[in-house]
Amino acid sequence: MSDMDLSILFMKTKQANYLLASLVFIAFGWFVIAQQRTPLDLSILLPYRASFISGFYNTIIVSVIALIGSVVLGFILFILSTTKILFFRAFTDILTEIVYGTPLLVMIIVMAFVIGPAFNTFNRNVMGVTGLIVYIAPYMTNIFKSAFSSISDDQYMAMDLFGFSSYQRYRYLIIPQVIRGLMPPLMNNFSLIIKGSALLNVVSYRELFYRAEGITSETFAFVEVYLVMWGMYLLITIPLSQLTRYIERRWAI
Amino acid sequence: MKLAIQNLSHTYDIEVLKNVQLELDDYNAIGIIGVSGSGKSTLLRLMAGLEKPSSGDIFINEQSVHSSSHRDNIGFVFQHHNLFPHLTLERNISLILEKTRHKSKEVASATARKNLELLHLHDQMHKLPKHVSGGQAQRASIARALSVDPEVILLDEPTSSLDPILTHDVLSAIENLRGLGKNFIFVTHVMSFVRDFADYVIFMHEGEIVEHGSPTILDKPQSNELADFMSKVR
Repeated sequence: MSDMDLSILFMKTKQANYLLASLVFIAFGWFVIAQQRTPLDLSILLPYRASFISGFYNTIIVSVIALIGSVVLGFILFILSTTKILFFRAFTDILTEIVYGTPLLVMIIVMAFVIGPAFNTFNRNVMGVTGLIVYIAPYMTNIFKSAFSSISDDQYMAMDLFGFSSYQRYRYLIIPQVIRGLMPPLMNNFSLIIKGSALLNVVSYRELFYRAEGITSETFAFVEVYLVMWGMYLLITIPLSQLTRYIERRWAI
Repeated sequence: MKLAIQNLSHTYDIEVLKNVQLELDDYNAIGIIGVSGSGKSTLLRLMAGLEKPSSGDIFINEQSVHSSSHRDNIGFVFQHHNLFPHLTLERNISLILEKTRHKSKEVASATARKNLELLHLHDQMHKLPKHVSGGQAQRASIARALSVDPEVILLDEPTSSLDPILTHDVLSAIENLRGLGKNFIFVTHVMSFVRDFADYVIFMHEGEIVEHGSPTILDKPQSNELADFMSKVR
């Protein structure tokens, strides 16, 4: 085989192209780091390992809580938006409209410092996470809407006709069908939550970003700290998107 | 079977059925024909109890279609097969028998296989609906309707989404079921099937039954509407 043939073969395989593209990014990173006037020194951060890890851990914990909370709230909003009672639909519409127009930072601050205290709740961490949940919930509702719309009216009619109970419909017919459509966007929203959780530092929740700020103020090595923090976020989100793709392939109809 | 339609009216945005009346006794295969929008599919859905009529009632074998036991006595075949897309042909049937008819797993699965074989689908039963042809899926849907052992099987234009060859395939499968002792009420545009299979014909036009009788009415229409309809279909 000549060199020409080999190169064509190389460019044709998917993995090879991904590898090549990754190398471009690595080379770019390498170049940028090499051009720095003051060389990067990650060893300065070694004593702060525990702090980074605990921030990383807290970010995951709070993201999982926010994921579960927003799925539950999003599902409740979805149910309300599909009822025949117009008030509920109006209620969810207005809430969605408000949330869509609100920056996440504003949502968290208003929850923790305005709405929470009005109800005698001064636990800012809890209210901050609640803000994150309320912010993501309408996006979850949208996911439910599009996933459930894949089930035709005729299918519901068939369920009626054969006499399936509500539980049986969800358990055997609806959920197995919608779960496939549900998983990929759900995972995308999870990425949104993970990145959004960085803003919880304003309520002093000790997640990754909060820890990073703390370490910066002690070491003044903010470039190094931010790079490590960046890497840690990617460490969560990249495997997550891979998992999403895997699930998509596995469960694709 | 006995069929009684009493003062039946139904309105969506417009009136689709206008005070329909009919009493029939002792027919086994009733064909409902008419142009699109004449109310024939609506009538069939009301017979299945899938919708509640605006007024009036329908009785099949002296039982109101709104009684809870009615649904156990009917099988329904939709225009498009309407199988559950995530289940194999076999599971589409056995799930119903297991969960809503409380059969054991073994009995449910054996009944499903038996009915699929009856429709010549023994090679296809472990496939998903999207992996079989439209005709095969529609035959599976007929097997599904049969498997709950209904007295009456309702078919709503079962071949409207199929090409002529698959149409023939599905219709001859239905004709082969004649020996099972079931009753059929069906809506179709295929006149040859009406002639071959029906022992009674109902012609609908603009929400009313304009003519009804044995299939010979197709050849000797009394009304202008049916004459006009027959001149346009083959």
